[in-house]
Amino acid sequence: MKTSSPSTYREAAVAGIDSAQLQKSLQGLQNRFGKGAMELWAGMADQEMRDRVKESRMKTFEHLDIVLAELAKNVRARGGQVHFAVTAQDAVNYTLAVAKKNEVKRVVKGKSMTSMEVDIDPALEQEGIEVVETDLGEYIIQLAGDRPSHIIAPCIHLNRNQIGRLFTDKLGIDFTEDPPTLTMAARKALREKLLTADMGLTGCNLACAETGMISLVSNEGNIRMATTMPRVVVALMGMERVVATMAEHRETLQLLTRGAALQKLSTYVSFLGGPASKDDPDGPREFHLVIIDNGRSRILADPEFREVLACIRCGACLNICPVYGKIGGHAYNSPYCGPIGAVVTPLLDGINKHADLCKGETLCGACKDICPVKNDLPRMLSALRHKLAYGSDRWNTRQHNPAEARAFRVWRLLVTRPFLYRTLIGLGRIVQRPFIGKEGTIRKMAGIAAGWTAGRDLPPVARRTFHQLWKEKYAGNRPTAPTIETPEEK
Amino acid sequence: MMENEYFFLRNIHKALGLAPDNDRSKEQYPELFAAPDTRKILHRVRNRTAEERNELVELLRTNAQALGIHLHPAESEADAAAIVVEIIRSREPEFSHTKHVILHDHPDVAALQLWKRFTREAVTVHTTFSSDHELREKTIASFIGITAPAIGVAESATVIQLTRPGQPRSTSLVPSIHIALLRRDKLVADLEEAYTLLREEGRLDSMVFISGPSKTADIEAQMVHGAHGPREVHLIILPSSAGPPMAATGD
Ligand code: SF4
Repeated sequence: MKTSSPSTYREAAVAGIDSAQLQKSLQGLQNRFGKGAMELWAGMADQEMRDRVKESRMKTFEHLDIVLAELAKNVRARGGQVHFAVTAQDAVNYTLAVAKKNEVKRVVKGKSMTSMEVDIDPALEQEGIEVVETDLGEYIIQLAGDRPSHIIAPCIHLNRNQIGRLFTDKLGIDFTEDPPTLTMAARKALREKLLTADMGLTGCNLACAETGMISLVSNEGNIRMATTMPRVVVALMGMERVVATMAEHRETLQLLTRGAALQKLSTYVSFLGGPASKDDPDGPREFHLVIIDNGRSRILADPEFREVLACIRCGACLNICPVYGKIGGHAYNSPYCGPIGAVVTPLLDGINKHADLCKGETLCGACKDICPVKNDLPRMLSALRHKLAYGSDRWNTRQHNPAEARAFRVWRLLVTRPFLYRTLIGLGRIVQRPFIGKEGTIRKMAGIAAGWTAGRDLPPVARRTFHQLWKEKYAGNRPTAPTIETPEEK
Repeated sequence: MMENEYFFLRNIHKALGLAPDNDRSKEQYPELFAAPDTRKILHRVRNRTAEERNELVELLRTNAQALGIHLHPAESEADAAAIVVEIIRSREPEFSHTKHVILHDHPDVAALQLWKRFTREAVTVHTTFSSDHELREKTIASFIGITAPAIGVAESATVIQLTRPGQPRSTSLVPSIHIALLRRDKLVADLEEAYTLLREEGRLDSMVFISGPSKTADIEAQMVHGAHGPREVHLIILPSSAGPPMAATGD
């Protein structure tokens, strides 16, 4: 998986918190979409829809072999080509081979997190193929050499001034801060690319096995362009992004567009599953669907985490998460950020490698409430923490912090031995004295404990313990419980 | 079966706790692909009274407005033609200096007789006949594309454009302005009804649901129309196809 930034979770989080622009954007986003989605779910006439969709997602997973085989069969019947890629590398190799065979010089991409997950751009670029992102936000990110920070709003961390300067620099237009003017400049530049590209590379929001069609949502129309004008279309699809029937498709789609942007439908929903017919003047001559596992079957196999595959990548959980709302998307260092990213990134790319993610979330439960398919992300975050605390063979996870584990073992020893415990508390009272500041709190500790007080104050050990206070005040005159006469006692 | 497909599906079998070389098939799980019973819905859609249809148009109007779609009820083909001519006259091309208009090869569009309506100004009208090999070029040159979608959905102000011979996908996409002609009887209430009708269509090459003009809010969350697709969408409601036109109501 592409995790390019060297900065750690902590550093990126601090940078996010320090960025006034990001804080403003995130707050606006959460106020509008987070609150909006909660209101939308509450007001929905069909209150069972979310459970129904979740149930159908889980049922599909239980029969995923059958559903995927049916999808492949029906895409092939339309003249499309289907490739099953077990690994990211496999998906990259296949796509590259298609591009080379068709002598592709320019690829236009529609916003696809899967393409980031398998990290296909460098492979194409190495072959001298130009890769152009076409979603406006992604395009801006690409021009800036930056990384997206939200599933739906990739450049939310940039302001109009930064984008204006970027466009002056890269597109050679006169400086402006006016979003419509900037959008029109990008429209013109990208139209040229979209109309002349040889290959369109997209993700897949939902494939329908029964019809053999994939469907893609967009508001801008870039994905329609990328699947209509180039000679070749390759769609990269995570293997869980499938529904069995059109009836399921309809409900899942409606939850997706509502969760993502409170829309009854996105502006465009394109359906395709094969090359254009002979008398069709546009539409691809070749259509390839790449179905990708890349670690998903391991998630499927674990009953504890299978549920996360039901995610429809709407991004709603980002719009309500208090942690994402402060630190922004870059800290997650993954194509998938926010609460969903904190669960799925470690599962796809290594729990130890991304240990900070599940520990950073607060387990407040907001993401579960807002999730259109009611994914229990907090439960899965806790499960990930459990794996980190104790290690897990199934997930090749080693105990994350053996020192911490040892500390807790010592702690257990202490608290179960009152004499030892009280002695140490007494000792602590003396040791802490030089650290207590004017405010009566400990503002700075030394050595390995320094981290604790880096961002907060610690109350000192009290002069007398609760236990002592209790003894002084109440021991001896312990109030006796009033006796209640019961019939049996009579 | 290709080798990687075999391994891929075997991994799924393993993950599901099945024997690796399991060959279970969809026939064993009929409920997985069970078709919904849509007779009731079909009956409802096909037997709407004029009044119910008017209500749908009103619902469409409200929802279209919210999305920035220009809705024009037309009482006749001539009426529709006048609306289209006015749009063509009053708008300027975005990417060129000449006015080209491209039309789907569809009877409702042909009925506008646009070819003979511009005698004084320079407007070139093209039709997407499937035998024409210059369609791509003509489409890119056009600033307005006119189509007649198969279905309209009132609940979400959506039109559903099916790709058919003579009705390619780029006509409603590449030009700056999209004009869609929709007959009253093609308007349904919601997506459930629309999906039911789509099922009746049989296998389709490709299709697109269009709900309003292209838009983006990627720069500081400010909504801008016209990102990559048409920046302006007009929806003209024509009288029902069968029988005499519906009595005009509050339109
Ligand atoms: S976990 Fe739920 S809310 Fe978050 S992106 Fe996935 S579907 Fe949306």
